[in-house]
Amino acid sequence: MEKEVIDGVTMKRALTRITYEIIEQNAQLDDLVLVGIKTRGIYLAQRIAQRLTQLEGRQVPVGELDITLYRDDHHQPGPNDPEVHGVSLPVSIENRHVVLIDDVLFTGRTARAALDALLSQGRPQRISLAVLVDRGHRELPIRADFVGKNIPTSLDEQIKVAVMEHDGRDGIYIQKNS
Amino acid sequence: MTARYLVLETGQVFTGVAFGAAQAAVTGELVFTTGMTGYQESLTDPSFCGQLIMFTYPLIGNCGINRDDSEAIDPTCAGVVVREVARLASNWRQRQPLADFLRQKEIPGISEVDTRELTKLIRQAGTLKARLVDELPTPAQIEAISATPLARNQVAQVATTKAYPSPGKGYNIAVIDFGLKHSILRQLAARDCDVIVLPATTTAAELLALAPDGVLLSNGPGDPQDVPAALPLIRGIQGKIPLMGICLGHQLFALANGATTFKMKFGHRGGNHPVREIATGRIDFTSQNHGFAVDPASLAGTDLLVTHEELNDQTIEGLRHRRYPAFSVQFHPDATPGPHDATHLFDEFIEMITATKRA
Repeated sequence: MEKEVIDGVTMKRALTRITYEIIEQNAQLDDLVLVGIKTRGIYLAQRIAQRLTQLEGRQVPVGELDITLYRDDHHQPGPNDPEVHGVSLPVSIENRHVVLIDDVLFTGRTARAALDALLSQGRPQRISLAVLVDRGHRELPIRADFVGKNIPTSLDEQIKVAVMEHDGRDGIYIQKNS
Repeated sequence: MTARYLVLETGQVFTGVAFGAAQAAVTGELVFTTGMTGYQESLTDPSFCGQLIMFTYPLIGNCGINRDDSEAIDPTCAGVVVREVARLASNWRQRQPLADFLRQKEIPGISEVDTRELTKLIRQAGTLKARLVDELPTPAQIEAISATPLARNQVAQVATTKAYPSPGKGYNIAVIDFGLKHSILRQLAARDCDVIVLPATTTAAELLALAPDGVLLSNGPGDPQDVPAALPLIRGIQGKIPLMGICLGHQLFALANGATTFKMKFGHRGGNHPVREIATGRIDFTSQNHGFAVDPASLAGTDLLVTHEELNDQTIEGLRHRRYPAFSVQFHPDATPGPHDATHLFDEFIEMITATKRA
């Protein structure tokens, strides 16, 4: 059973708010690189980049990380950490401020894999993490700098973020594993 | 039916019929508002303090005055100009007809004047000074209208002089009252905020001592440059406490950060103003009531980012501080009267406070 917890309009507003917060934290947008994680994080990164372009009249580079893992619905505690399959960065991240963007922050293992992948590409001056949803249940000492929505969940629930570009609709849904 | 005269500073005299206060002898800035509904909210909006409100909608008063929709305890507008005032008020909530309300509050009204013609005049010439009187004025009296200085410092006439609480269980919000509309308090109450309303003369030190979670700069009447005491207040708290500004509060936020404001030709008053959110291109229809605006040319070199603009004339309708959690809007997210498209900005304010606490 799937239930909408955040509608598309509110989800877009959360992205706009994250954009403003990124501006607030970055006096120099010249140093900024956005990096989206796998499917939906990439679309969210692109949308934040579009908002920055509208507001500041400049392009911010958007990179992509392909990280595959057990899917959330197959989540099992254990050693099967996510694996990085591809890194695509349009610019060097050396000495820049990288904002890593994902749809859902859960155990933190994807974020950790992303950090490893980024650090293997250079030494950014700073890496921040922006997520649309923080659902809790961290297994690693990782926290997000920019959070769209805090949605407390139980472990037998799933959070699904739908983006227009990939799912044909915007919204955040919660589903109970049965 | 008693005759009453609306005399413009240009010398034009509009003859109409008196309603409301028995006697009329007021001079004020004649402004028009385009709302088709919500005359009670407009009449009681403190931002109209000292102004003659003209409604472009031709029939005003048909649902009377009710207990629930006022934006202040007492209306502070100087007078009311309508095409036709409803002879019969009909609504399940109404308690008295509009004319009775205005008579009780001693505010003069004039009906049976050509409000369309007057609106055209204002749109061409800009807002005009005008006088509502019961006797045809002499040429010398007409001459005197343009020499009459407009009311200044209206904030001091409408804002509270004493702090008062509006308790809740959520975030503690300090509202600086420059001429607060009740609907702002209603919106905060709907989010369970624990509100304290403070006088416009509050200092930054006094405010910081209260340690609120957020500060809201309210709407209010008149020229933002008449409220210089607010500027050190804003500079003293921004960056320390999340800030939201509405209308006059928005203009003061801009002034405090080095921008300038100017008097608009005839302003924006009504519930049909399209505003574009620059980040997304989304259009919201907004309720507005402002005769001054932030000068876009003055933003260069400031820390302010334009977030919203009016679609018709590109007036700045929203700003955000680049380094601090602080934003402001020229329109009324509290609506009343007008569309509720922008009420989510109060949610954004709450989210901003939450994000600031997390950081």
